[in-house]
Amino acid sequence: METGDDPVVIRHRELERYANTALKAGRIMMESGASVSVVHRGITMIARGFGVETIGLRSGYTSIAMTVHVADQTITRMLQVGRLGVNHRLDLAVRQLCARAERGGMSVEEVEAELARLVRETPRHAPWFTALAVGLACASFGRLLGVDWLAFGPVWLAGAIGQYIRHHLLHRGVNIFIVAGAIAFLSATLGGLGAIALQSATVQLAMMASILLLVPGVPSTNAQTDIMDGYPTMGSARAVWVLMIMLFAATGIWFAEELLGMRS
Amino acid sequence: MWDFLPHLLHQALFGAAAAAGFGVLFNFGLRALPWCAAAGALALMVRTGGLDLAWSLEGATFAAAIVTSCAVSALRRVLGPACNAVALAGCIPMVPGAFFGEALLGFFALTAPHPADAAEIFVAAAEHIIRVIFTLAAIGAGLAIPAQLLKNQDF
Repeated sequence: METGDDPVVIRHRELERYANTALKAGRIMMESGASVSVVHRGITMIARGFGVETIGLRSGYTSIAMTVHVADQTITRMLQVGRLGVNHRLDLAVRQLCARAERGGMSVEEVEAELARLVRETPRHAPWFTALAVGLACASFGRLLGVDWLAFGPVWLAGAIGQYIRHHLLHRGVNIFIVAGAIAFLSATLGGLGAIALQSATVQLAMMASILLLVPGVPSTNAQTDIMDGYPTMGSARAVWVLMIMLFAATGIWFAEELLGMRS
Repeated sequence: MWDFLPHLLHQALFGAAAAAGFGVLFNFGLRALPWCAAAGALALMVRTGGLDLAWSLEGATFAAAIVTSCAVSALRRVLGPACNAVALAGCIPMVPGAFFGEALLGFFALTAPHPADAAEIFVAAAEHIIRVIFTLAAIGAGLAIPAQLLKNQDF
């Protein structure tokens, strides 16, 4: 019998398609900021919709692996995960797809096509709008920290410019830690210069507020969620990532303070 | 009480703006952004009230995260599976990024060849990093406990 006609091989290929499709949904959720427990539940829901049982799931920082089983056949497959970010609308849309798939009646092709459509068509805010919003968030953080009104505008502008350039650098594939250091330096310098020019009394606070767009709030809470949910390895990896981002950001602001003579 | 009100409103307003701004970065839809802003305002109001009652920053942050998480859980019929994410966005303005930066800058300063007041710098940096850890833990626990107990749906 040819290998292509072997029912075991055919069944394995079917199982592989189920596993790969479920893993793709998990990868999108993970790259969109979902915690490990949510990713695992989503993957399990899709597998259940295909009529297969999930025996095991494992998430690392850069990969997800799953073992599926049906009628004495078992396979294990792994999928690479890309850079972890936050995309709420895409995350939510994929979760809704998981719920639909679990109810049954969706083929592998339909789920695959829907995943591709969601990735392609889920709207994102325009970069200029995101930059303005993030700049406003930095300036608001500044007010919460005690930045005076004179520095409010410079912090807004510095945060917005920093976010706009960060967006383009990340799209060009520049290393995320280098981007954090460079944007911290740029935004802190711009915020500091603006605050000095307007004779603000809170120049150092303004410089710090200008870089708060870099603080990875979602990954830091996800780190804790993962540990609390029983995934300490992933939680620890996220925490180390947060620490590294903050180290690079602090290095950037340190250079900016040196440049503007704030450290003496 | 009336002396405190302008400060409370100020914190709520900028908590709302910070949460909504980060909501845009996290790609929340335009209809969800007012909920992020409301969650941010609520979180900052509770934390500011707690600090005014002389609670520690960590205690006030924990209370704020719990209240925010409970409030969005009460709205879960309206918000659906997004409710946990809205609570998280609301708590983003309480993430102690500035403390984290100050702590790391303090440790950097200790690496100078002959730092002046090394002990003071070290204590200040250590204090900042401890506050960062405890405040992040307060936010995480405050968000997670109501969501777990009330069984908020994720899907």
